[in-house]
Amino acid sequence: MLEYQNLFNRVQIHTTVPDAGVPIDERTWVRQLPPSFNRWIGIIGDAQVGPIYLGATGVASLIFGFLAIEIIGLNMWASVGWDPVQFIRQLPWLALEPPSPAYGLHIPPLQQGGWWLLAGFFLTISILLWWVRVYRRARALGLGTHLAWAFASAIFLYLSLGFIRPVLMGSWGEAVPFGIFPHLDWTAAFSIRYGNLFYNPFHMLSIAFLYGSTLLFAMHGATILATSRLGAEREIEQITDRGTGAERAQLFWRWTMGWNATMESIHRWCWWFAFLVTFTGALGILLTGTVVDNWYLWAVKHGVAPSYPATIQITPEKMNDLRGQYQGAPPQTFPVPVTPAPRLVVPADSTAAVQMVVPAGTTTPPPAASNPPTDSARKRP
Amino acid sequence: MKRVLVILALASLAACEPGKKESVQVGYRGVGQEINYDRSKLKDIAAANVAPKPLPSAPVDTSPVKWQNVQVLTNVSNAEMFRTMNAMTAWVSPKEGCAYCHNPANYGSDEKYPKIVSRRMIEMTRTINNEYKSHVQGTGATCYTCHRGNVVPQYGLWHFTDENQWQRAYLDRQDVRVQSVTVKHTPDNRSSIKQTENTYALMMNVSSGLGVNCTYCHNSRSWATWQNAPPARITSLYGFRMVRELNTNYLAPLNTTFPAKRLGVHGDSPKLSCVTCHQGAYKPLLGAQMAKDYPALWGSHGWVRGSPNDTVSVGFKDLRSRDSVTTDAAPILPPELARPLPAPVRGKAGASPR
Repeated sequence: MLEYQNLFNRVQIHTTVPDAGVPIDERTWVRQLPPSFNRWIGIIGDAQVGPIYLGATGVASLIFGFLAIEIIGLNMWASVGWDPVQFIRQLPWLALEPPSPAYGLHIPPLQQGGWWLLAGFFLTISILLWWVRVYRRARALGLGTHLAWAFASAIFLYLSLGFIRPVLMGSWGEAVPFGIFPHLDWTAAFSIRYGNLFYNPFHMLSIAFLYGSTLLFAMHGATILATSRLGAEREIEQITDRGTGAERAQLFWRWTMGWNATMESIHRWCWWFAFLVTFTGALGILLTGTVVDNWYLWAVKHGVAPSYPATIQITPEKMNDLRGQYQGAPPQTFPVPVTPAPRLVVPADSTAAVQMVVPAGTTTPPPAASNPPTDSARKRP
Repeated sequence: MKRVLVILALASLAACEPGKKESVQVGYRGVGQEINYDRSKLKDIAAANVAPKPLPSAPVDTSPVKWQNVQVLTNVSNAEMFRTMNAMTAWVSPKEGCAYCHNPANYGSDEKYPKIVSRRMIEMTRTINNEYKSHVQGTGATCYTCHRGNVVPQYGLWHFTDENQWQRAYLDRQDVRVQSVTVKHTPDNRSSIKQTENTYALMMNVSSGLGVNCTYCHNSRSWATWQNAPPARITSLYGFRMVRELNTNYLAPLNTTFPAKRLGVHGDSPKLSCVTCHQGAYKPLLGAQMAKDYPALWGSHGWVRGSPNDTVSVGFKDLRSRDSVTTDAAPILPPELARPLPAPVRGKAGASPR
């Protein structure tokens, strides 16, 4: 029972025997997973499943990817004392953190971030092998390599965050942790540390391309679905003809916005927007901390950030008092109070005078720095 | 199928807060400088932050102290001393009574550790009330501000662990600044992203402890900016200085006094943080002024209230005219912006916001 004689409908039409696809050179690898039909898969896509061509790069990519996930998962599990319930319960908050900044670009012990380096290395190998596979499969089918280069843009952002920028900054500690909320927390902290990433113009561009991508996606998808009732998807050779579905699609956009993309150029629009999301994003990441340390001040300097009336009037002296210090290196030990509270020694005869005894060896007054100034101290000239 | 989807859609709202919202502008218009409140939660906060009624005033009494082994409360009269002791019992150990600190057979004896601790805590309270008017203004603090009827305050006490290094900012770590004051990188600021996460954790700790969002103190477009931030940020900075001193000079050194059950795994005594006093309110007890009724907690030598040397009341007058102009939140704003700061709970006893 056909709804409409059109490829653009939800009727699942297929042959009785699955299609193996075009012949390829199978001397090095064969296609696996005997093809079959699945009605449920057919609801969201093509009903035929398989065959799949894994190839040497695909197999190697899966192995390295599995190793990376394994390292990440086991480290997370170890962090909750191998408790399976806590592992599931706390999974969104568990992390495999990069090495401490103190290690710079050196290789730390496994527990101090070495596992992170190893997991990142394996994940990178896995992703790069998958890229090779995408490239080579496209070539094997005689396609262009547009998909591989779009993927490369995403990989560029991934490498910028986890490898290139940390190397430029001289510290693995600048890189992103593995984990669901931890990597989001990193994002927030990254923006805070470098003075609000929203003022980074490449971040602005990346957001513009991201939102633009969704807009183009919606416009293109809607246009094609709307004109498929006229068979427009089969009219590539007729698009200059008057009155066809394809011509109406273009007419629609010319009427509504005065100009239209062509059947071919809309796909270039989409490809470039998608490509530029991650590409401009990566440029913004690479400039952060290396060239610009405070994007808000950069935006003020270049007239990007508007200025508003001050809500507090602060004198320079007051400002000096308010301005804090930069956060120091994390202490390695826990402090012991320099001056324990005077201990009162109670004589056996509780009616006798009580002595106040300062414990021995603690007569050194605390350093001035650890004594924050009180109001009265501050008021002194 | 549709029914399942409807149920799932409704379930996705479970994390939403259904209460009526209220937002209060605290900065320049149109820049999102506002504080958001959930009114239903404000009712809980109001109920949890009611100050007890003050005890009747002690009669004027200039007779010398007749108690034994008095080391700190030396400058109050017998009557005021008795009144203060009664109040402290109600605030700190209502169930345990006097015997929590004292040996009922010999009140002068220091054999119970809580007595030594509470002596130190009275000194601490006097430091808060006299040295940190920049933070507590004239409102001051009493034992009840933290204890609320418990021998150990219920909120925000922390011990050393390997995971909570960020809390060391309440004790001995350097300041929490991470943003550069210049566009380009300088060797001065070597803060890492991990240090930023420490600062972030600390700030969220403050935010949840006070029941306010970030914009109560900050202009979120540039966290480090003072001029465009709400004035409450300055009050908060003095609060940090106060907490550091209280922990450094009063709480941490008590590790030799506390028994092991009160100490952390590293043998350190409990240390306080913002929420210990604030307990979810932007001002502890929503600004109820308890301390003014207890001169012993100020340590003034002129303990007779209303007398010429009553520094407590004098301090009040000074503060109203001086400090509030520079450190309290609302009056700084230009008149056209100055909507009153959150008056979350109106007309409740002891819950006046200022």
